[in-house]
Amino acid sequence: MEANRKTNIIYIWMLNLNLIIILYITGIMAAGLLGHVHENSALEFMQQVNSVTMAPWKIPVTAVLLYGSLVLLLCARAENNIFLYVKTAVEVVISFMTGYLLNFSYSGMLLLILADVIRRTGRVRWRYAVIGVVCGMYLLMDYDLLSGRYHITALETYLLYYRGDIRAVFLGVKNVLFSLNILFFIIYTIQLMRAQMNEKERILSLNDKLNQANEELQLANRQMEEYARESIKNAETQERNRLAREIHDTLGHSLTGIITGLDACVTLIDTAPEAVREQLKVIADVARNGMADVRRSVKALRPDALEKMELEKALLAMMEETRKASHVEIDYCCTAELGHYNKDEEEIIYRIVQESITNAIRHGRAGKIMIAISIEYNVMNIWVKDNGIGCTHIEKGFGLHHMEERLAMLHGSLNYYVDNGFILEASIPIRWGG
Amino acid sequence: MDKIKHKNSWMTIIGAVLFLGAVFIMNDGYKKIPFRQDTVLTIGVFSDSYWEVQNGYSYQILEDAIALFEEEHEGVKVQYVSGILKEDYPEWLAEQMLLGKSPDLFFIFGENFNNLAEIGALKDLGRLMEGDNGFAQERFYTSALNCGKYGEQQYALPYECAPKLMFVNKTILTQEGIELPDEDWTWDDFYEICEAVTKDTDGNGTLDQFGVVGYTWSDAFDSNGVRLFDRKGTECHLTDEGVREAILFMEKLDGLYDGYNVTSRDFDLGNVAFQPMFFAEYRAYKPYPLSIKKYSSFEWECIPMPSGRRGANIAELDTLLLAMNGNTTQTEYAWEFMKLLSGDERIQSEIFAYSEGVSVIRDVTEADRTLQLLIDSSGDDNGLNLRVLSNAVENAVVAPKFRNNTEVAAEVDKAVRDIMKGSSNISMEQIIWNREINNFLKNRMER
Repeated sequence: MEANRKTNIIYIWMLNLNLIIILYITGIMAAGLLGHVHENSALEFMQQVNSVTMAPWKIPVTAVLLYGSLVLLLCARAENNIFLYVKTAVEVVISFMTGYLLNFSYSGMLLLILADVIRRTGRVRWRYAVIGVVCGMYLLMDYDLLSGRYHITALETYLLYYRGDIRAVFLGVKNVLFSLNILFFIIYTIQLMRAQMNEKERILSLNDKLNQANEELQLANRQMEEYARESIKNAETQERNRLAREIHDTLGHSLTGIITGLDACVTLIDTAPEAVREQLKVIADVARNGMADVRRSVKALRPDALEKMELEKALLAMMEETRKASHVEIDYCCTAELGHYNKDEEEIIYRIVQESITNAIRHGRAGKIMIAISIEYNVMNIWVKDNGIGCTHIEKGFGLHHMEERLAMLHGSLNYYVDNGFILEASIPIRWGG
Repeated sequence: MDKIKHKNSWMTIIGAVLFLGAVFIMNDGYKKIPFRQDTVLTIGVFSDSYWEVQNGYSYQILEDAIALFEEEHEGVKVQYVSGILKEDYPEWLAEQMLLGKSPDLFFIFGENFNNLAEIGALKDLGRLMEGDNGFAQERFYTSALNCGKYGEQQYALPYECAPKLMFVNKTILTQEGIELPDEDWTWDDFYEICEAVTKDTDGNGTLDQFGVVGYTWSDAFDSNGVRLFDRKGTECHLTDEGVREAILFMEKLDGLYDGYNVTSRDFDLGNVAFQPMFFAEYRAYKPYPLSIKKYSSFEWECIPMPSGRRGANIAELDTLLLAMNGNTTQTEYAWEFMKLLSGDERIQSEIFAYSEGVSVIRDVTEADRTLQLLIDSSGDDNGLNLRVLSNAVENAVVAPKFRNNTEVAAEVDKAVRDIMKGSSNISMEQIIWNREINNFLKNRMER
């Protein structure tokens, strides 16, 4: 872009220089003509010219007008090839007319066209033909060549008006200006070449970058594929875990209740067959619930109780069921409002309570379970204590482990210790309205 | 993209406007804008007579023509700048041309014609002449018409002309008992008479009566059929046998005077038998009180120039031409006015009344009225023979037209003088000088 800007600036310099040259030459011509009239040497001059001269004021005026139109045309962008051919042709014609006004003493305008053509015709068909035509015109538009065939008056004839030393200065300045124009053209061409080389380099470096990016992309792609594979594996594992959890949570819970109930039945069957019947009915209910849980697990994840009712009611129903099935005394105290939680929160609360009860019965052989749920500064605390045998060494079973996992998902925490039984404390940060 | 397109079309439009503006100015388009109601036709003319005679009628013919023209063409005004002297006129015209203000129609001298025609300052009248049924070319003297030709093209119409005639002092001839020569007299007759009249009449030891004054090598060349240059002025034919003959004849004539330099004053005093003169010069003498006095001492007559062995009784023709500005915007009116000035009998016949030249229309020159006019203006019918005059015009020599031929003519003059002065072999000198002049012509072309 920078190189392009430089090329543009040089081109503008060339345009300005050509204007100066045209004004200079036509100025000298016009002044010479007026001088002849002023000094009554017009007749003498007329005998030396080869053509009728234009009125003095007309020469600079028409030359500048023609040059103006040439500049505007040069600045117009060619949108297609045909427009470009026409544009170049018209430019050449205008240059020729301007050259005619200058008595073909100057053809530098064609360098402007050439510069423009070289620059703009990157991939134009007949590019070299167009350049060739412009070059040809540049070479042909010469006084000495044309004066043999046509009536043209040499610039030198106009200069004859001036004194010898002044004429020498005029010619000197003219030559300097002409050379300057050619010099500008050369600089322009060099700059254009540099710009094109820069452009090529830029394209090459861009290409490199592109290749590099491509490689990185391929690597990332491979990593992505690996990650996807791992993800699938993870999902499988998770799903397996989930299923295990589900089986443990639902079937395990029900089966524990059934086993405890059946154990009671075995004890009671001889002494109180009636009670056994009652007990068996309850066990059957538990089994049915368990069955329903299994069905639901197959279908989805949520506990059936939660599916059907609100958290608090589900909790109460679950506790009532346990009480009935295993004759455990459950002391439940809830100071928190249990509505309006998110489903995952509701589920984890339900599961923690359910799991704690199961653990207390299965491992602690407890007869009494105390459950307290409270909320404090957006953190729900679940506290479960049983009067069971506890244990000296807590072996983290599937249930506890599972509970921890679930809590971690909600950024909650789990604590458990033994103090006259097993005590479990879980805290869950609540996202209100989530 | 749209913005660029927009910009593009604007630039193209402005560019086209500038271009058209330039073309408009170049082609004098602004001159065609009718700022005024009436059309103005401008004429370039000089105040005094072409024949350098102050006759007091300087613009009379032109004014009459303008009156006629404006009557016939309503709404057209003919204007001219008055007060430009003949000697300043070519410079004035050149200045007007340089300033781009040259008149639509202008008078032009033979000596400037070639140059102006060459550079294209004059309109080629060929198409106008062909396209105009009312224009009868054959009414003009061919020689006069040819004076307005450059190459094959007619660039100007003749307005008035004057042939070169031999002015004869009849008194001397009568004194010497010599008859007036015939109209088809030759160099031999000419020399014989000159030889016979050249003498010392008062016996003081110096010659005081001469044969001829003002007879130049050019007159000799013209009457001996010499065509010194080819049509384009690229080659000189100085080595022609006719040239040699003419030079020998000139040397012979010069030999009669014994080194005495005869002047036209000698002729005025009645001491010279012959002097070639343009018809206008002859007429110019008449109205002058001085001239009448000058010529009262002898009787004279005009006859054609003597012919050489290879030529005829002809001489050159001096013509005042009318040309049209090559860039005029009023071609039609200019052409009409040009025709009126140069081809209309009403105007052309005024030339004999108000000027000293000869009309370029044959019928006008040969009309009885003309004779009457000439007799009226001169006061006698001495030496007037309209047939001689008409023939002299008709047969006059028209020099080949090429550029700057005055310079070339000066060169030839130098050559002929040198050859005549030199004592060596004339043919050798001719060859040497011919080469020199050809070189000169070549250099002139190359310049």
